[in-house]
Amino acid sequence: MLPRPLAPLVALALALASALAILAPHPARAFGDVGAFDPRVLLTGTQVGPLRESAPARWAWEMTRRTSAPARLRPSVVRADDAAIVEAPFVYWSGDLPVAPLTGAEIAGLRRFFALGGIMLVDDAAAGDQGEPSAFGRSARREIARVLPDSAPIAIGADHVVFHSFYLLSRAVGRVEGTPTLDAIVRGGQTQVLFSEHDLGGALARSASGMWEQTVVPGGEAQREHAIRLAVNIAMYVLCSSYKDDQVHAKYLMKRRAAAGP
Amino acid sequence: MVSTHLGASADLPPWAVALACALALASFVMLLFEMRGRERGGLVIAASGLLAVASLLAAVLRPARVSARESTVGARVVVLADASRSMALAGDDRRARAEARDGAIALLRRGGQNARFVVLGFGEGAPRPLADTSAAGAKDASTREPHSDLGAALRALATSPEERPAAIVVVSDGRLDDPPEGASESNLRALGETVRVPVHTIATTRDAPPDASVRRVSTAGAAVAHVPLPVRVEVGCSAGLACDELRVTARELRDDGPPAELASGVAHVKDGKATLDMTITLERSGSRIVEFAVSPPPGDAIADNDRRLVTFDVTRERVRLLHIAGRPTNDVRALRQWLKSDASVDLVAFFILRFPDSELHATQKELALIEFPIDQLFTAELPSFDAVILQDFDGAPFGLGKYLENIRSYVRRGGGLVIVGGKNSFVAGGYGGTPLADVLPVELDPSPGAPSADVTALVPQWTQEGQDAPLLEPLREVLGADDLPEMSGANVLGNLRPGGVALWSHPTRTTPDGARMPILAIGEEGDGRTIALGVDGAWQLEFSQLGARTGGRGLGALWDGLLGWLMRDPRFEPAHVEIVGGCTAGLASTLRARVPPARSATSSQAVVLDVTRIDAPRPPVHVEVQRPGDARSVDLPLPPLEAGGYTARLRVAGGTTTRHDFACEAGGDEWADSRPDPDRLRALAEATGGVFAYAADAGKLPLPKPTVVSAERHVTPVAPPWVWTLTAAALLGAHWAARRRSGLS
Repeated sequence: MLPRPLAPLVALALALASALAILAPHPARAFGDVGAFDPRVLLTGTQVGPLRESAPARWAWEMTRRTSAPARLRPSVVRADDAAIVEAPFVYWSGDLPVAPLTGAEIAGLRRFFALGGIMLVDDAAAGDQGEPSAFGRSARREIARVLPDSAPIAIGADHVVFHSFYLLSRAVGRVEGTPTLDAIVRGGQTQVLFSEHDLGGALARSASGMWEQTVVPGGEAQREHAIRLAVNIAMYVLCSSYKDDQVHAKYLMKRRAAAGP
Repeated sequence: MVSTHLGASADLPPWAVALACALALASFVMLLFEMRGRERGGLVIAASGLLAVASLLAAVLRPARVSARESTVGARVVVLADASRSMALAGDDRRARAEARDGAIALLRRGGQNARFVVLGFGEGAPRPLADTSAAGAKDASTREPHSDLGAALRALATSPEERPAAIVVVSDGRLDDPPEGASESNLRALGETVRVPVHTIATTRDAPPDASVRRVSTAGAAVAHVPLPVRVEVGCSAGLACDELRVTARELRDDGPPAELASGVAHVKDGKATLDMTITLERSGSRIVEFAVSPPPGDAIADNDRRLVTFDVTRERVRLLHIAGRPTNDVRALRQWLKSDASVDLVAFFILRFPDSELHATQKELALIEFPIDQLFTAELPSFDAVILQDFDGAPFGLGKYLENIRSYVRRGGGLVIVGGKNSFVAGGYGGTPLADVLPVELDPSPGAPSADVTALVPQWTQEGQDAPLLEPLREVLGADDLPEMSGANVLGNLRPGGVALWSHPTRTTPDGARMPILAIGEEGDGRTIALGVDGAWQLEFSQLGARTGGRGLGALWDGLLGWLMRDPRFEPAHVEIVGGCTAGLASTLRARVPPARSATSSQAVVLDVTRIDAPRPPVHVEVQRPGDARSVDLPLPPLEAGGYTARLRVAGGTTTRHDFACEAGGDEWADSRPDPDRLRALAEATGGVFAYAADAGKLPLPKPTVVSAERHVTPVAPPWVWTLTAAALLGAHWAARRRSGLS
């Protein structure tokens, strides 16, 4: 306990310190981290948060542990009709329930985002074990088609740069094995929307106790590791785009794939 | 002079006078024929008849006294004297050809006392009055033209509004640009028809000096960086020099060291000339000077034409870039995507994707990672890149330190270098006090523990130079009235180094010198250019509210200007520079700078020019002038320079620098082929109806006769017309009476 005469001085000092702390300029984000990978959660309609709440942060954590890329360990959340949708090049849209039809403002926001070259991952958290899309997956595709009516998804496999942007991957997996490919909408030579029917977030999510939230089927922890690798690759694709398709890398990677066999 | 003489009445045309005289003469002849053999009265009849005919003629002609002031006007003879530099070469008897030219003109003047001589010098374009060669120093002035275009001079005379000449006399050594060697007779005749008078020619020189030279250098196309360029070199040997083979070398003049040999070969001389095809490759864009030289045999009389300095304006079709990023971020992504979107960019990229202690959870075979070939990139491959971009890259863990010297040399030899900010850049990357810091536009604090970043959020401020710089014009257009986006912090950069220019600055932080800390700075080092961008948030020109408003075009506009300036794209140069009429060694010249309008038309700006010799150490030439604010063009006088290659660096109002390399030659094209060509002059004279002569016989040229001109003419009749008529009537009557008395009818 402080002596009585000192108490007002201490209170004054604390008040001054608090005022200085408020008035002093401080960065919203630390220098060097502003360009970090941010697995931003996209919310539309009545969505209030991601189904796999811990997955984005885990994704960022895996990025920082495994790669040199900086990542936001506290990913941000953005609504499709929020002006902030255009403030970063990536959004992560997941869910297990059908999404409501996008409003005009949401469509406009997403179009601005894509016009700037933004990339979206649509992750079906309720996909079937064989990759059957859930109501979320079907409705998300329907709404994306409204946002980008001139583009249709195509399947992308192991040849696509997403599958060798960091790890060499032969197929896509998540919480469920699903199909070996991802679907993608490619515009102007750039993959702008990735559709995963694998519940990638389900493989990444951890509970508050630090345990994995979801069981990965059918491959167990080895499959989870490959799901994490896919997540890392997707993030690397966001940050490096087609870097690993450059000629100087391509010839090395072709040799390595050939050595690894089919 | 007033003269008086008799003449016919002024109202009679000349033909009437002639007819009357003819009729009178015929009448008298007929009378004499009639009187033939007549003895009686024949003399009287003939005399009276003669008087009658004469009086009748006088009645028709009505003689008058003509008083006139008359003068003799000599024919206008235009002398076209060759004023090209080749006239400074030695001619016959080791006298300068210009002396023979001036001697021939003097002989002409003496031989044509009545002619009105107009002596013009021809060289380039319309002829101009030839400098009075008797004046001190005028000899040089009359041999300064860089070309000898007789065709242009004749065409200019033909279209001149002045009095048409009665004859043209060309005095030259015959080594002309136009008409060219071997021009056909019809072409020569056509040239004469443009002036519609005979063209007499006088050759100043008969004999060629013993000389080996580079006569001509020609290329098949434009010079493009990194692209082999075919070059044809024509060499010659004259006056029996022993040179069956001539070694030819092509070397690029460089200010960072000795000339770099680009190609060499041996030309086999036949009939005094030879052609050698070579291929050279220029690696750097901008104006580049290449020396083509022959190794002359003993006895070569003219050393100055053993080499030619050719300036190539090297453009780029493609830009080869090395992009190294220390870690993948949104800023790296944005720059890479912009670079990849430009089809003219050959991009070689290496991003550091993992740390040595990264927990990969995979074997090497399961990774798509390759080794960073730092040794290969910064030794053998480095010169092949037009620019190197180091983005958020700390090279120390990869052993970059031992290659920083290479990067410094690379920049000084013309390479581009961009350092983009981030937590691993500049001071944080340990570049302070290294050779790389020597070429940056800003200083870096090398002391241990020096602050590397200021993490206070900031909006970069435009400096005055940044607002004026053409390289940021695209970005200014995109942004309009908007500020730059807020950045989360900045790398700590020091004072500007000499020649560095800050385009953006920190709003509050200052350098040790007290100036606002540069955020974006550019500079030149040796032959290369460098850029320091001390933030890692340029990607927010694309992804931000500002980016959404501008369609994300700000990022491309920024890098388009920065990379364009780095590669010397003329669009982003602060001025366009040329040497008016070229540079001739030993003569003063003028450098003309075309500059964009100043922000304030009323205030003047300092224009500073520094000219340095490329191929030899010489004191630099420093010129400063004030440019009125509304002036778009500024002329800067250059003192006489020695033969060689030069670099001009021009700076307007302390802004960015424009570099222009140029060559000064002693003789240029005019000395490249030192042989006189009297045969060409002879052919020209013959084709145009003129006469050819050598200089010693110039006084014998047939010049047009003078013209007599009368002034103040007064005509006074000797007698009134009735007197002539009455006299004629009386004398005709007397003649009739004499005939009657002699029995004639």
